Amino acid sequence: MRYHNFSFALLTAFAVLQTTAQAEVKVGLVTDVGRVNDRSFNQSAWQGVTEACEQLGAEEGKDCKYIETRDAKDYADNIDQFIEAGFDVVVSVGFALGEATASAAAENPETFFIGVDQFQGAPLPNLAGLIFNEDRSGFLAGALAANLTESGTIASVLGTDLVPPVVAFGEGFIAGAKYIKPDINVITTYHPGEISQAFTDPEWGAATTKQAIDKGADVIFGAGGITGNGALQEVAANEGLFCIGVDTDQWLTLPAAHPCLVSSAMKLITPGVIDLIKTFSDGTMTSGNYFGGSALAPFHDFDDQVPAEVKTQLAEIKTGLEDGSIKTGYGQ
Amino acid sequence: MPESIKRIARAVSSALLVPIMALIVAFALGAVVMTLFGDDPVAAYQGLYDGAFGSAKAWARTLLKTTPLILTGLAVAVAFKAGLFNIGAAGQFIIGTVCSVAVGIHFEGTPLLIHLPAALLAGIAGGMIWGAIPGLLKVYTGAHEVITTIMMNYIASLFAGWTVYAGGRQGQSPGPLWDPTARAISETPDVLTSAQLPLMGNPRLDLHLGIIIAPLAALLIWWLIYRTTFGFEVRTVGRNADAARYAGMYPRRTTVMAMALAGGLAGLAGAIETLGLNHKFAPEFGGSVGFEGITVALLAQTHPLGVVFAAFLLGSLEAGASRMQFESGVSADIIDVIQALVLIFVAAPLIIRSLWPGKRSSLAAGTKTQ
Repeated sequence: MRYHNFSFALLTAFAVLQTTAQAEVKVGLVTDVGRVNDRSFNQSAWQGVTEACEQLGAEEGKDCKYIETRDAKDYADNIDQFIEAGFDVVVSVGFALGEATASAAAENPETFFIGVDQFQGAPLPNLAGLIFNEDRSGFLAGALAANLTESGTIASVLGTDLVPPVVAFGEGFIAGAKYIKPDINVITTYHPGEISQAFTDPEWGAATTKQAIDKGADVIFGAGGITGNGALQEVAANEGLFCIGVDTDQWLTLPAAHPCLVSSAMKLITPGVIDLIKTFSDGTMTSGNYFGGSALAPFHDFDDQVPAEVKTQLAEIKTGLEDGSIKTGYGQ
Repeated sequence: MPESIKRIARAVSSALLVPIMALIVAFALGAVVMTLFGDDPVAAYQGLYDGAFGSAKAWARTLLKTTPLILTGLAVAVAFKAGLFNIGAAGQFIIGTVCSVAVGIHFEGTPLLIHLPAALLAGIAGGMIWGAIPGLLKVYTGAHEVITTIMMNYIASLFAGWTVYAGGRQGQSPGPLWDPTARAISETPDVLTSAQLPLMGNPRLDLHLGIIIAPLAALLIWWLIYRTTFGFEVRTVGRNADAARYAGMYPRRTTVMAMALAGGLAGLAGAIETLGLNHKFAPEFGGSVGFEGITVALLAQTHPLGVVFAAFLLGSLEAGASRMQFESGVSADIIDVIQALVLIFVAAPLIIRSLWPGKRSSLAAGTKTQ
């Protein structure tokens, strides 16, 4: 008993020591244009920073801060604020900050940079791009959709095929659906416009969804920013159909889709950011591309409509995708 | 002699009363808003000051933010002098950007002394055309310039987007200025070094020649408006177009020329931002400097030299915003709140003047100077 107490005290002392030692870590986050509480990428990343800071004993608001970007031209200035103040880790959120982040990383080799959703073509030793296997999230969504469909037809309404992650979502969705029901009919539609329109066209999303529903689709996967949201909202206007969101848990971001939103194909940004910050505080800089996890969002109000065996099956598929026993077929 | 000095002093203080009071009241109300949200306004304003003037880098940021605002401010102010409300500086700015990029990415091997001026002139010319169109529409069809300049803004940003369109898999062809090495991203290549504005001083500060061109342009416009026949005509047409016609002037020609001049200034702003700072065009670079030009011009009471100070003020607010957020945690949106308050008070000077413990007569006299 006494021995246990002693070792417990020792452990506590060690933990305290470690905490005080690691409170040296200062973490800054630069958002993409928008709010830090956008219930999307910015918020997920900031949540990762705050949780990592809590675990490392750094004080939010002092050692861990964020700057909301107001104008796309300010990316570099905002990153500079943290560098000038001697922060150790700078997290920048979103594909658009990739260039500014890479050039800041090249100029400041002592600072560790985490670029959320930034693919690293030319890796730097102090820059980690947190990216995702979208095909795996799409695969899980497809498997769920195939289990839910009664008509045997499902659909995906997607942003432009000019953007590789969108194609990964779409291809993964097909593969996942066929994995459950090999003869399933999947209607896949990409937005025909350029990048600046493809993700901001809810009318196209709604119209395309309507066409898919007319062809018998009863589960629709909407993946493509506001375009995808238009698809989800169109599904919500119909009785008895299901829709699946993308990126973050859209139950929280898009209440208008509640009537149909059974789940979302998520990129797990929060745990990815936490892991990367912790590897830095452990003394290593992860560099190059770091793959975050993929998962389905909670079923929320639809929890009792998804049979227990389907839930088990989805969990098995998730494990299978992670250990490589199940392949999505995308990019291989 | 002392009497005339006194008169000038009185005129100057009367002209400065509204803008200065507007700033003080706007900052005070901004502090009230922050306090209501539980933030510390002292820390916020300290951060704002540090971010704008706290270091060489901060000063550089402020000057770089000020530069385009001077020119878009002038674009609005010049039109005001001719009695026109130019809401189109944003579109003229974008066209200036696109035209200067179009020249800047081509003609490899041209010496800087030819290439750079050509790219700048292309930006000015593009802006002039974009400004002249609403002027022509006004004098020949009576279409109000507020409506047409707003519409021209939309056309400009859609046109600019088309020039860098990355193309699609459905067979649409990419835009003429698109950079194929950017693959799916819609943006132009970098302008050639021979078309970039040279940097001055420490290259890390990014201080390009544009920060000198802009105030010089303000000086030139002041001379043009107050010391030339053209300027006299602009001001006369602005006060009373009928009287100007009776006096033998051509109000239609003056209106079109004033709008072209205004457009050229905003186009130059776009050219300088591109050739000095961004070195390329991407649709998200549109920004808000065109609209902020309206605030600048109103704060400056449409005086070309006042525009320099007003732009400097707004530029320092913009430059300090990041630091303010960093130091105090106050959302940078407070900068927009303060700018909006400044705009309200300079646009509605009676609110300010009623706060000033002066005589009724000075109130009336003051409003007449508007």
